[in-house]
Amino acid sequence: MRPLRRRRGWIGLALAGLMTATGCSADGPAEPERSTYKDGHLRVLASSELSDMEPVLKAARAATGVSVELTWSGTLDAAEQVASGNADGKYDAIWLSSNDYLRLRPEAAGKLSSETPVMSSPVALGVKPEALARLGWKPGEVTWPAVHEAVAAGRLTYGMTDPVRSNSGFSALVSVASGLSGAQAALSDADVKAATPRLKEFFAGQKLTSGSSGWLVSAYAKRGDVDALVNYESVLLSMNRDAKGAGAPLTVVRPRDGVVTAHYPLTLLTSAPAGARDAGRALTEYLRGPEAQKAITEQTFRRPVAAGVAPAAGLDAEKRRELPFPGSRSVADGLLASYENELRRPSRTVYVLDTSGSMSEEDRIGRLKSALTDLTGSGSSGTGQRFRDREEVTLLPFGSKVKKVRTHVVEPGNPGPALDAIRGDVKSLEPDGGTAVYGSLEAAYQHLGKGGADAFTSIVLMTDGENTEGVGAGHFDSFYAALPPAQKQTPVFAVLFGDSDRKELTHIAELTGGRLFDATGTGVPPAVAGGGSLAGAFEEIRGYQ
Amino acid sequence: MRRILGIVLGLLLIGGVLYLVAFQGQDHPETTATKTVRGVIGSEKSEFFRDPDVVKALAAKGYTVKTETSGSWAMDQLALKEFDFAFPSSSEPAKEVAAAAGLKGAQETRPFFSPLVVIARPGAAKVLADNGLARMTGKNSGTLLMGAFLKAAGEDRTWQQLPGSAAHAELTGTVFIKTTDPASSNSGALFLAATSNVANGNTVVADDAGIARTAPLMRKLISVQGALEPSTDDPFRAFISGSGEPLILVYESQVASLLMQHQDPGDMVVLYPDTTVNSAHTFVPLTERARELGALLATDPKLRELAVLRGFRPQEGVAEFTAATMPHTAYLNTGLTGIRQVGTPTVKILMALAQRAKGQGDTP
Repeated sequence: MRPLRRRRGWIGLALAGLMTATGCSADGPAEPERSTYKDGHLRVLASSELSDMEPVLKAARAATGVSVELTWSGTLDAAEQVASGNADGKYDAIWLSSNDYLRLRPEAAGKLSSETPVMSSPVALGVKPEALARLGWKPGEVTWPAVHEAVAAGRLTYGMTDPVRSNSGFSALVSVASGLSGAQAALSDADVKAATPRLKEFFAGQKLTSGSSGWLVSAYAKRGDVDALVNYESVLLSMNRDAKGAGAPLTVVRPRDGVVTAHYPLTLLTSAPAGARDAGRALTEYLRGPEAQKAITEQTFRRPVAAGVAPAAGLDAEKRRELPFPGSRSVADGLLASYENELRRPSRTVYVLDTSGSMSEEDRIGRLKSALTDLTGSGSSGTGQRFRDREEVTLLPFGSKVKKVRTHVVEPGNPGPALDAIRGDVKSLEPDGGTAVYGSLEAAYQHLGKGGADAFTSIVLMTDGENTEGVGAGHFDSFYAALPPAQKQTPVFAVLFGDSDRKELTHIAELTGGRLFDATGTGVPPAVAGGGSLAGAFEEIRGYQ
Repeated sequence: MRRILGIVLGLLLIGGVLYLVAFQGQDHPETTATKTVRGVIGSEKSEFFRDPDVVKALAAKGYTVKTETSGSWAMDQLALKEFDFAFPSSSEPAKEVAAAAGLKGAQETRPFFSPLVVIARPGAAKVLADNGLARMTGKNSGTLLMGAFLKAAGEDRTWQQLPGSAAHAELTGTVFIKTTDPASSNSGALFLAATSNVANGNTVVADDAGIARTAPLMRKLISVQGALEPSTDDPFRAFISGSGEPLILVYESQVASLLMQHQDPGDMVVLYPDTTVNSAHTFVPLTERARELGALLATDPKLRELAVLRGFRPQEGVAEFTAATMPHTAYLNTGLTGIRQVGTPTVKILMALAQRAKGQGDTP
């Protein structure tokens, strides 16, 4: 995993971290967030899969003197930042897989200039060869209805990112909704409605979700029992290359009835200072040149947009229909809301919350309460801004032992009562006692073991100290090893907070296939996502639940 | 949305009236001390201004030109005080830009123009031709028969319904031309100007009855596309990268530029709509610094030659363009033979059409 540097958190952050084209990010203390443009140093809000552009950006710096600082963001989150004006002054440019969603926001008009597509990659299906053989598929013949049929028959499972947080998931959602509704033109609300029963069957086969396409790849590799991966063609082909023979390469299937393609428009913000826009222009010019285009396609398997530059070997030349992205925000948001609250498998989420005595320090308990309350949203919360319909949320506060286990299920169409009850439980949290991390974690697994519903299960572990009570790490390791295989697939998303033990939490996240998030707000973590604040970490974890 | 504007271009057809300001500047001596001027331009002119030869020719005249791109019809939304000139793709947005910048009587110049064309891959072009929607005129060029095409579009014709499409995986779904956003981009607006003319019985839409008559078709042509791109560079690059829609509206200059830069356009067929309105790129000086630049672009022989090499047709430059594109007549209809130029509706009418086309109440 690429080293990510921590930064201050903010609401709605999808995946935080900074990468500079010079690659210096793992040493030295975290710099305070830059608020002003520095000569020749472009601040760019970008899609996370662009981390593979580091070598190209390094060469761009050598050629143009322009360095790039990329801050990762999901598509919707970036749209929100640009449309709300929060990106003004903070970033000079945006570089997302697509600006289509952003342009549906009328407030974005006048904020963007020089949108220049740099490269392209369709969202495709990477299928294990044995699954392909089992299904008798010819890669060039597969259609979305055929994929649906295989999934509905229980013959195919797959991983996909959360459409609310990641463009590859969003594109896949548009593709499959188009494919299954039989829409001949841009999707309408009626198309989505008509396809809902089949879409539900389709998403029953989604066994892995993720807030970013990068983590999806590693989670997929760890799981081993998922047949396919929905991701950019470029990511799938890079996976095959990087596996270097370990594990059979995935066969890249671009469904014959159509794909949604990302064009990565490097886009200047009109709020950026003139110097930054000059730098952006120089960078764009370089990236569109033959040398960079050749490097891009050969190193990242994206397709060049310059005439005369041949696509890298392995990029199939057969044409595909480009499925239209919705033309109105109501259709786009309606599709996302359907996915979130109706189409996808529901979530079962356990929050294992350290409420030991030390949580009274520095108002940690107050920050925890506020971060949890944020997740219950408000009456007008948009998609992705509150616990989902059908979600089973369990709060498991602990001190020297588990204090309480409270579970609420968000009722579709009537989310208020469950959300109110969660808020009430959060309000009643009191700091007291020691820190029984492992015993409480075991209790969380036992709790999840009791439910049989088909759901994405996950555990969020937040602790501000090391384990002081109850069973230890060794006990938990044996406990985990003895879990039934299905339960082993429940990941623990561990949140560093206060004085928690990084090593302990890293071990738990790695053992369970989860991920470490940082909410300590100081220090320099290697390989940690999170955004620095507890609210930011909790929000970001939503993409993985 | 106030950026939905209008368009009046009828004056600027081939051999049309020249609007050159008198070229008052003296030749600047060759010097390294150039003055920097910033401009906002339509994306289709980006390569022209990035061309090292153009940079050199401008420097020889004392200019360093820095450009940013924007949809022509969205330029008036920008912070224009940061720019010395605007160079939208037609004359109406130019007026809006001048008004937004608080200028009265800005000395506009129209150095060159470029007709709109539809690019397709040979398979799609052949299916259209076999079904009477287009006529091939050469290996890589043809004429799009707008009457027949719009009739098919009005009937929601799909590619699957057109015999011959089955051989091509990408030819499914409703037949449509991928345009840019008619509210913010010039080519999208001109597309409505041309198609509404055809839909109105080959008459410029001039009243509410005409709007009522043509709006449903305009709505179809636009809504079928879903998300609309801000500039022609996006769909054009999608085509080059091997993706994109089967039929894409671009400027002839984008294709001609590739050809004259000896870049392989790949499997491309250029279809000239038989009914069209031309786009006269209009230079608007916003500050004193850029006052003479437009005239320089229009009259300097070297810059005219370079504009041709980037695919543009200089005003009164038929001979120049024809000579330069001689080797590429397989793709280009140099004489615009068989192409009917039509007038455009008034600003107000076109604005109303664009709004109806985008579906009021549909976009928040």
